[in-house]
Amino acid sequence: MAFAMRVKVPPNSATLQEARHRTFDFFRAACRSIPSIMDIYNLYDVVTPSQLRSTIAAEIRKNAHITNPKVIDMLLFKGMEELSNITEHAKQRHHIIGQYVVGNQGLVQDVATKDENISKFLKNFYKTNYF
Amino acid sequence: MAAFTGASSTTLISPPHLSRQCLASTRISGLKMVSFSNSGKSNLPVSFRRLQISCAAKPETVEKVCNIVKKQLALKDDVSVAGDSKFATLGADSLDTVEIVMALEEAFGITVEEESAQSIATVQDAADLIEKLCEKDSA
Repeated sequence: MAFAMRVKVPPNSATLQEARHRTFDFFRAACRSIPSIMDIYNLYDVVTPSQLRSTIAAEIRKNAHITNPKVIDMLLFKGMEELSNITEHAKQRHHIIGQYVVGNQGLVQDVATKDENISKFLKNFYKTNYF
Repeated sequence: MAAFTGASSTTLISPPHLSRQCLASTRISGLKMVSFSNSGKSNLPVSFRRLQISCAAKPETVEKVCNIVKKQLALKDDVSVAGDSKFATLGADSLDTVEIVMALEEAFGITVEEESAQSIATVQDAADLIEKLCEKDSA
């Protein structure tokens, strides 16, 4: 309850243009905090800043088809929340690596050598119902 | 006009009090201009004195920018990225443009302000902006 009162939500964007503007501001803020994130979680040997930048851009692009400014504002709010959780060290290294570094092919056990010989059919079957 | 130094050779560094208003107009045209300074002895009449401020970006800066753009947009090697290629024609959407600006910020160690970032449309724009910021930092 106290936390809900502490967070200030800016008023909704009036137009899609303003929502775009806020998206780019959010992206810039995230990119500018990448050096400190790499420092906090010691990611120097695991990933480069440009890879993190493209991961962030990919996450933003996943929702690029949305046209409702209020939905965009909600997504940006969630993004800002995630970013502040990461920068204030509320997460741990394995969270960051699992969510943003290893990528969308799957978790680490899929990337390992054990699964390299399974057939394409099985890979698709494990991934999704519709292929 | 006593602000001009007595150097007789042509200089490429623009005098600071002229740089702002001239860079604004010349950056759009993208032309390369060379500045002449007074020989120091006597003030020539206005009709003979030509003041042109340089705002050309160095070729290695443009080269670096091109490499970053290529890597960011994952272009094949045979796609040529020249100074005047617009980001949109190379297949970048607006988020790509912002990402390229952030990559340039990191590579050159500068901070681009928001209004300047909105006006970048071609590779040459980006290179000129980087030059301006690097000069301001080193000055």
